[in-house]
Amino acid sequence: MASISIPIPLRERAKSGVLGWLATVDHKKIGIMYMVMSFAFFIAAGLMALLIRLQLAAPNLQVVDPNTYNQLFTMHGSAMIFLFTIPMLVGGFGNYFVPLMIGARDVAFPRLNAFSFWITLGAGLVMLIGFVFGARSDAAWTAYVPYSTKAYSPTVGMDIWLIGIILLGIGSTLGAVNFLVTVYSMRAPGMTAWRIPMFVWAMATTAVMVLLATPVLTAALIMLVADRNFNTQFFVANRVQLWQHMFWFYSHPAVYIMILPAMGIISEIIPVFSRKPLFGLRAVVISTVIIGLLGFTTWVHHMFVSGVDPAIERFFMFTTMVIAVPTGVKVFNWLATLWGGSLNFKTPLLMCLGFLATFVIGGISGVMQGSIPIDQYVHNSYFVVAHFHYVLFGGSVFGIFAALYYWGPKITGRMFDEKLGKLHFWLMFIGFNITFFPMHFLGLQGMPRRIATYDPGRGWELGNLIATIGAFILAFSVLIFIINAIKLRHGERATDDPWEGNTLEWSTSSPPPEYNFLEIPTVTSDRPLFDERMRTPHM
Amino acid sequence: MAQVSLRDRNLTQTRDVAPARQKNVGLLGVSLFIASESMFFLGLFLAWFFMRNTSDAWPPAGVTPPPIAPAIFNTAVALLSAFAVGLADRAIARDDRRGLVGGTVVAGALGVIFMAVQAIEFTELATLAQSSAYGSAFTFLLLFHVLRVFVGVILMAVLLVRALIGHFSSKRRLLVQATAMYWYFITGVWLVVFAVLYLIG
Repeated sequence: MASISIPIPLRERAKSGVLGWLATVDHKKIGIMYMVMSFAFFIAAGLMALLIRLQLAAPNLQVVDPNTYNQLFTMHGSAMIFLFTIPMLVGGFGNYFVPLMIGARDVAFPRLNAFSFWITLGAGLVMLIGFVFGARSDAAWTAYVPYSTKAYSPTVGMDIWLIGIILLGIGSTLGAVNFLVTVYSMRAPGMTAWRIPMFVWAMATTAVMVLLATPVLTAALIMLVADRNFNTQFFVANRVQLWQHMFWFYSHPAVYIMILPAMGIISEIIPVFSRKPLFGLRAVVISTVIIGLLGFTTWVHHMFVSGVDPAIERFFMFTTMVIAVPTGVKVFNWLATLWGGSLNFKTPLLMCLGFLATFVIGGISGVMQGSIPIDQYVHNSYFVVAHFHYVLFGGSVFGIFAALYYWGPKITGRMFDEKLGKLHFWLMFIGFNITFFPMHFLGLQGMPRRIATYDPGRGWELGNLIATIGAFILAFSVLIFIINAIKLRHGERATDDPWEGNTLEWSTSSPPPEYNFLEIPTVTSDRPLFDERMRTPHM
Repeated sequence: MAQVSLRDRNLTQTRDVAPARQKNVGLLGVSLFIASESMFFLGLFLAWFFMRNTSDAWPPAGVTPPPIAPAIFNTAVALLSAFAVGLADRAIARDDRRGLVGGTVVAGALGVIFMAVQAIEFTELATLAQSSAYGSAFTFLLLFHVLRVFVGVILMAVLLVRALIGHFSSKRRLLVQATAMYWYFITGVWLVVFAVLYLIG
């Protein structure tokens, strides 16, 4: 090498052992801790889902009593959203790969990053320990008033839940500050806006949404805590709408906070496994940003039966429909990337195809419900449950597993077993559809969500039984993933760039050293590693 | 096929110098934090106006709004303190450490006076908060603003100690700038709080 640059570890060598993890400010270790934490909550919340499905498998079952049932679906939803999907995508993959993909040595504020993680873990433990010891919220993840007021939810469980979510909000808001500053200021030389990897674009958009939406929810949560404990008068009488507005002002963007990073992930994986550049990179970037902006203007579509002024409802119906346009742009771009590509059907690509198939179904049922008359019919029915599981499991979770299979070799230095990976995919894909597709019909047949049981003779028996069987197939597929992850210890060693990727994380070793890159690379296109391969003669 | 990595190659330009945009990382972070803080207050203000618009009377019958005089006094205090912070920031920009210390002391002291006046207000607000949504929202806006003032005063104390030790110079004044930004933000929020709670009502 002609011009030697001595590797500059920015800090002392990392400590090893437990202290090395507890005291770390390395974005990769923090990312791994986020992933492990989120996956643990995924298992916990998944087990709750199995109990829910057992309860509903047949009419008038009493696996758990109705109160416990309420607590179960409340914690299932809260944990899946706040403790699994968001921290996994934003905290886990965002932390680990944003600095690597932009050619940085770490995030802009590494200590703040560690703080975000520990406060997130603390909040998760507050909620989980409260749950284990019986201090359980039972007002659903939406915590609608008046269910969540002192009168209807008198136990301390509700307060513990509220405090947990407030703490999570603080952690993710600070994390968003960190990501935005990192992406703005830490990019490698030459990485202009259009050369920023799609995943990083998605994470930056997500960070803007987290930054601006979360504080409004925090305000609402604090108001509710005060109402419950200090006798303030915010959510009394006719002001249930106030909570709904403030809650959905955050929680609708939260939907995009959960899906945009997953879209970013598959925008990275599909080109690599199609051996083609991403079709219409700029269109995908622009539609990501537009989804992020429009995401702030659609929240009232959750309130079409709440008595909002019809003129306002129509405005939000319009914005809701409009958001399907940039989403459709992305779907067509992914399809065009796949079209004519030299497809390499490894597990990461399969997961992406699973994402596409299921997310499009969820997207279409979303547009249906964006229409006021349809929504007023299916509101609070199992149709809604089917819809959001198709976007959040079919979208986000397939995206998460795609990322785990794609980036797992980079993180661990070992390759996953392909056969087990494919088995995992197929079982998960089939199990998922068996579980959630019947819920569309159940919803149209009038089955309300959140009911603890139902009488026979309403035509809901078969659909529920099928869904429960599907749920166990789904759970079994996750078990296969866990086995695959355990087998990783003896897996084949991963090279630096096992998939012939496009982005900078593949230019360093697997796993990367603490300082990420020996020298900071200079970027000349949106596919720096592809350029490398073109310039270097193959052997 | 050989594995290629950027670090193996000569073509790669060796540049490990921070690009120009890394210089203001701290201030960018503070600006973004202030953006999220603004959204918190925006949430509270929207709640205020939502409840105002959906109530028959605002403030409701039987509830008297708190007196405006202390708030006017505090508005003057807040503006003066922002001015003092500005002077401190400008002083250190030209390496005037005494100016920094003086400005910080004045701003911090004014912050404490502001908090003291609010504390007296709160003795009456405690009952107002439980009387009606009007009182609750009124108290919340004052309370969460004064909490920021408290944070600002702590920042001033840290700034003062570090200024006395001699940590700051014209080239090294990020914390001074960051504190000043946050202080301006708190002052700005106060002006909106004052206008909404006392003038618009």
